[in-house]
Amino acid sequence: MNIIAEPQNEIKKERPKMRYLETDRPATPFAREHIKTVGAITVDSPRITCRNVNVYYGTKQAIDDVSLDIGRNAVIALIGPSGCGKSTFIRCLNRMNDTVIGCRVSGRIGIDEQNIYDPQMDVVLLRAQVGMVFQKPNPFPKSIYDNIAYGPRIHGLAANKLELDEIVETSLRKAGLWDEVKDNLAHPGTGLSGGQQQRLCIARTIAVGPEVILMDEPCSALDPIATARIEQLIDELREQFTIVIVTHSMQQAARVSQRTAYFHLGKLVEVGETAQLFTNPMHQLTEDYITGRFG
Amino acid sequence: MNDPPPIGGAPEMSRKSYETVRRGLAKRRAAERRFRCYGLSAILLGLTSLALLFASIVSNGYTAFRQTFVGLDIYFDAELIDPQGNRSPESLATGDYGGLVKRALSKVFPAVSSRSEKRALYSLVSTAAAIELQRRAVREPSLIGKTVKVWLPADDDVDMYVKGHIRRGAGESARRLNDRQLAWIDELIEQGNIEQRFNKTFFTAGDSREPEQAGIWGAAAGSFFTLVVTLALSFPIGIAAAIYLEEFAPKNRWTDLIEVNINNLAAVPSIVFGLLGLAVFINFFDLPRSSPLVGGLVLTFMTLPTIIIAARAAIKSVPPSIREAALGIGASSMQTVFHHVLPLAMPGMLTGAIIGMARALGESAPLLMIGMVAFIVDIPHSVMDPATVLPVQVYLWADSPERGFVERTSAAIIVLLAFLITMNALAVYLRSRFERRW
Repeated sequence: MNIIAEPQNEIKKERPKMRYLETDRPATPFAREHIKTVGAITVDSPRITCRNVNVYYGTKQAIDDVSLDIGRNAVIALIGPSGCGKSTFIRCLNRMNDTVIGCRVSGRIGIDEQNIYDPQMDVVLLRAQVGMVFQKPNPFPKSIYDNIAYGPRIHGLAANKLELDEIVETSLRKAGLWDEVKDNLAHPGTGLSGGQQQRLCIARTIAVGPEVILMDEPCSALDPIATARIEQLIDELREQFTIVIVTHSMQQAARVSQRTAYFHLGKLVEVGETAQLFTNPMHQLTEDYITGRFG
Repeated sequence: MNDPPPIGGAPEMSRKSYETVRRGLAKRRAAERRFRCYGLSAILLGLTSLALLFASIVSNGYTAFRQTFVGLDIYFDAELIDPQGNRSPESLATGDYGGLVKRALSKVFPAVSSRSEKRALYSLVSTAAAIELQRRAVREPSLIGKTVKVWLPADDDVDMYVKGHIRRGAGESARRLNDRQLAWIDELIEQGNIEQRFNKTFFTAGDSREPEQAGIWGAAAGSFFTLVVTLALSFPIGIAAAIYLEEFAPKNRWTDLIEVNINNLAAVPSIVFGLLGLAVFINFFDLPRSSPLVGGLVLTFMTLPTIIIAARAAIKSVPPSIREAALGIGASSMQTVFHHVLPLAMPGMLTGAIIGMARALGESAPLLMIGMVAFIVDIPHSVMDPATVLPVQVYLWADSPERGFVERTSAAIIVLLAFLITMNALAVYLRSRFERRW
């Protein structure tokens, strides 16, 4: 771990950097306990506010004191090396972590002034508001139509077949899949290609009418063409939804997001405007990661 | 063996490892060939045993599906069979139909006069003949006063002789038919009055002390009622337990303990469940002895662990991504389970249930303990009637001394195996029918 040996050069001196000098650096540089978040964690009108969130799997701490606001109608990308806790964090936002045995969450995650970890909070209601798209496309082994219609059906969003048909069509249109599947809505959703399946999953999430969509590495199982299609879709969806995306690809984060948060060892290291974070990172760890020194 | 030469110009190290690998190849291939031989011979051994089993059962049992009949010219004498003279069923029910048979036999063999010889002659025809004649007379009263040729079931000894199971060569004392009886039978055969026909009795009657009157239907009905009770109880209970344990129960020391004990229960000898059933259902709850209800309850104990284990495995095999997908759009845990997990796990659950049922169908030991081993002639009509089941019927017949029961034992085994194969085929069909890919 020789990442701090490099002497400060003249150009870099212009911007303030979280950097330890040889003299006062701790025994374990950039160990978790020494990382402090830099950048603006707050935004003007946040959709979700997270304060001092800690997540434990048994005795292991996966997220350490993370505070972060998620803005309205914007895309925030969570990046970081494997095992840094970004997936754990995103799964806190709609309490998908509840299904993990031994998982414990402390701190406050608020939507509309309501703490979602309040015992009063109903997860069904929460997940109808905060939808999720997973890493691997996971359509139900049912028809394309039933895949989309399932959510509205269980929530009772459509009064009759006509309304349901309309929800299905609108959702598929928003997900950019309508023209490809409109003639075979009765075909199984599992028969589509990987990219189409992922867009089907996005349409399925949209159909419930959420305000926030969480995407956990939605393109990691897709080829570059399908990825480009999804990225374009994310950009379109931004107008109506708040989107949180976890990604391994920094190019993707740079392309689709307005804000980016960099996680390291369960800590939120840096958060800021995407352009700023990628061109002019404030924290040494962020710079090392985006320049490919590790991760 | 013609191995290609190593790639030209390989450095010393890779050349050396190439040589080492090449030297070892023959040994590896021989090991693989040997292993394939072992596997093939294991399968052949299994298939041979199965073929031998089937061959022995079928060769012993197929004759039971045919029964020897004696053709006699019966004069439906109103004096004998209609004592009141009004042709009413009540009157016809009290008639002496055995007398009709005796008269007809005496007419065929007029020379027979002494009492003992007459008794020997009359014993050639089954005692069931009288009952059959009575039924015929009640059904067709117009026959009364006429002479009709009627085919009546022969006694089981005659049946055995005609089928070649009683040999003439042995001394008179070594067989159940004496020389005179054999002569009469031969004469009847010569006249064309002895025939083998399809044994309808075997498929329609209950048990009997007389092999020619014994049938499998009573035991089949008993098995059916028992399995209905078992299925109705063990399937829903087993599935509910599996779903709760897999999807809802907290994972802690108590659920671990329950899991271990379910696995233990699956290994408990079945006769222990029989003793439990005897103590609990018959002695404590006072349920009727020998009834399919108690039998079904006992077999439920026995099959529950099998069904729970199979159902849990089926639930476990549903990919978690499907659960996440459903939860992610706001389905409750119960909706997730019933809309997505259960349909996908159903083929596995059904297979497990049917395999459990097949095991219950073949079970006899626990049922001996609750009295289903009793000699029951009547065919059960509900789960409360005394009954026996197919495997116990096999056991009972195998225990009977009459030669006629030997082939009936094998025939009952054929029926039992046919049931089992049908159930397993159903399991395979259901699995492929409901299987969905994702």
